[in-house]
Amino acid sequence: MSGQKPKVAFFDFTGCEGCQLNKLNFENELLDLLELVDIVEFREAMDGKADYYDIAFIEGGISTPQCIERIHDIRRRCGVMVALGQCAVSGGINAMKNLHPSEWVQEAVYGEDKYLFPSIPAQPVSAIVNVDYEVRGCPMSAPEYLHVFKSLILGRKPEIKDYAVCVECKLKENECVLDKGMFCLGPITRAGCEAICPSNGQYCTGCRGPVSNINRDGAVDMLKKHGYSTEEALKRMKMFNTNEIDKEIKWGR
Amino acid sequence: MNQKLNNINEMKCQFLDENATYDFLKFLKGRSKVFAPHRKGEASYIYDEVSDVKDVVLQYPRTIQPLKKYFLPPRETLLSFNIDENNFTESEINVEPRIFFGIHAYEMEGVMRLDYTFEQGQPESNYLTRREQSTFIGISYEPDEYHFSKSLGIDIDSVDGFSLYFKKTDNGYYVYEIDAAGQQLMKEFGKGKRVDIPVTKEEPEFTNKIKYHYNRLPQIFEHVYDSKVWEEVAERCVGCGTCNLLCPTCYCFDVRDEVEINATEGKRERFWDGCMLNPFAEVAGNENFREKLSSRTRHRLYRKFKYITNKSGELHCVGCGRCSKYCPADISITKIINNLIDDYADRQQKQVI
Ligand code: SF4
Ligand code: SF4
Ligand code: SF4
Ligand code: SF4
Repeated sequence: MSGQKPKVAFFDFTGCEGCQLNKLNFENELLDLLELVDIVEFREAMDGKADYYDIAFIEGGISTPQCIERIHDIRRRCGVMVALGQCAVSGGINAMKNLHPSEWVQEAVYGEDKYLFPSIPAQPVSAIVNVDYEVRGCPMSAPEYLHVFKSLILGRKPEIKDYAVCVECKLKENECVLDKGMFCLGPITRAGCEAICPSNGQYCTGCRGPVSNINRDGAVDMLKKHGYSTEEALKRMKMFNTNEIDKEIKWGR
Repeated sequence: MNQKLNNINEMKCQFLDENATYDFLKFLKGRSKVFAPHRKGEASYIYDEVSDVKDVVLQYPRTIQPLKKYFLPPRETLLSFNIDENNFTESEINVEPRIFFGIHAYEMEGVMRLDYTFEQGQPESNYLTRREQSTFIGISYEPDEYHFSKSLGIDIDSVDGFSLYFKKTDNGYYVYEIDAAGQQLMKEFGKGKRVDIPVTKEEPEFTNKIKYHYNRLPQIFEHVYDSKVWEEVAERCVGCGTCNLLCPTCYCFDVRDEVEINATEGKRERFWDGCMLNPFAEVAGNENFREKLSSRTRHRLYRKFKYITNKSGELHCVGCGRCSKYCPADISITKIINNLIDDYADRQQKQVI
C-alpha cells in the first residue's frame, strides 16, 4: 500500500469496550502506527463517514437485528475485515445468554421495556459476513493486535497462532498451575496472550477461545480429574466460548 | 543399545560432605559461570545461573525445561534485517566456558541425543556453537513415579558425558572423577577426602518400567503402526504440545519474521515447536498431514523409538518422565508403550492359534 496511506476504521458492536481500553495500553506503538494510516472512523475520536476503508476493525459481537444490517453495510465498503476481541470473534461472554430462552433474557435485562429492544442470540461477526482475520481474547490481546495491524499495513499476511496457551507457558518455563492444584484451560485455549494468566500464577479461563480441531471430550475428561462433573466442566469451557463449545463449530477459520 | 559400560567403581573417588559440596560450588563459580537446579514456584525446579550457591538444590526430581534450553533456547533471534537497505546481520553467539552442575544421567543422555541430531546432515551451527566449552557435573537422584530411564538402559549412575559425578551417600557425596577435566577440578579444589572403597547402597528401584528389554523396542515398533492403542490415547489427549516442548530430545522449531512498525527493520525469530500441535503439519491449502491426535501421538513415539533410532542406533527417549509428569491429561508414555507391547503380544498369540 504505497503512496496513499491506507484508510482504517473502527466499528463498535456489542461489547464492553475493554478491548478499546486495552488498545490504549499500547499508546506509544499505537502512535507510531497511526502515522502510517489514515483513521477515518474512530467512534471516540471523530465523526464522519468515508465511502471505503482498506481495513475495518470490528469490536463487539452481533446481538440485534440492526447489528446485522450495519455489518453487511461495512463489509460492502471495506477491503480487509478484522474481528477484534472475543465478542467479535466468537460472540464472547455475551453468548452465555444463548444458553437461556431469549424471552427470559430480555425480561431479565429490560423488564417491561423488553419489546423496545429487539435482540437476537449473540453471534460472532463471522456468522454474518466473511471475516479475514481475528484478534482473540477478552480483552483482546494487544501484542496480537499490533502484529495484525502492522502486518496488514505492510501488506503481509498476519500469522495467527493456533496452538495451546501451554506452549507459551512452557516457553517461559512457568510453573504449571496444575502443579499447584488449580485447574487450567490453557491446554485447549489458543495461544497469543503470552500465557499472561499462568505467568501471574492464575489459571487460564479460556478467554481466547479453543484451538481449532479441539478434542472436546478429552477436554471434559481433563477437567473432570479436578473433581468437576461433565456439566461443570462444560460450563467452565463455555464461559467465553458458548458458541464454539456448544455447537462445535469452528467460526471464522 | 543404550547400555554404557562406564563403571564408576573403577574410578577415583573422594568424599565431600554437604557443606564442602557448597564450597565446591563456590569454587566452581570462581572459575566460570555455573548453572544448576533451583526452586521455581511452589513445587517445581528449573536450571538457572548460580548467583548464591545456597539457592542451589542438590536433590530434585526433574526440572521443567530440560538442559537443551541453553543450547537451543526456547526463543532466539536468528538475524535482524533491514528492508530498505536490503541486508541482514546474523546474531552473534558468544561462547564462554560454562559449568552445568547437578545434572541427572538421563538429562546428559538427552544432550548427547541432541548432539547427534544436530551434527547430522547440515550441522546446526547455533546449537553446536553454544554447546562448546560446556562441562557437565552429574548427580544421583531418587527416581519418582515418572522416571523410567533404567528401562531404556540409562542407570542412575550412568556417567557418560560427565566430568565429575556426585553420588549421594550419608551426609554428603562420593565424587567420582570421570575425565581429566574433572580430575583437574578436584585437584585444584583440594578439599576432598580420598576414599578407596566407597560404601554405596543399592541403587534405588524404579517403580515406572517398560515391560520389555529396551533392545526389543525397535522391533515392537515394526508391528504396532496400526495398533488400536493410538486411538485410545487420542481420546484423552488434548494436543497441548507440552510433551514435545519439555522433551529433552525434541528439537523442532518454527521460524517467524517480525517487522518493526517503521516498516524497515525486522527480526527473524525461532522458537520451539512440536508435532503434537495442530498447525505443525499444516501446509498450504489448509491441508494437514496429521490432523488426528492419534497420528500425532504415533508420530511422536515413532520419532523416539524408530525413525531416528534406525539411523543412530540409540533410543531417542531417555526416560526423564517429563512428558508424563506434565501432561494435563495424565497420559503416560510408559503406559502407551506397555499397552503397545500387550497389543502386539495379543496379536502374536492370535496368529499362533
Ligand atoms: S499453567 Fe495452564 S497454560 Fe500453563 S502449562 Fe499449565 S496447564 Fe498449560
Ligand atoms: S491465559 Fe487464558 S484467560 Fe488469560 S489471557 Fe490468555 S487465554 Fe485469556
Ligand atoms: S502433553 Fe498430554 S495432552 Fe498434551 S499433547 Fe502431550 S499427550 Fe496430549
Ligand atoms: S519422550 Fe518423554 S520420557 Fe522420553 S525423553 Fe521425551 S519427555 Fe522424557
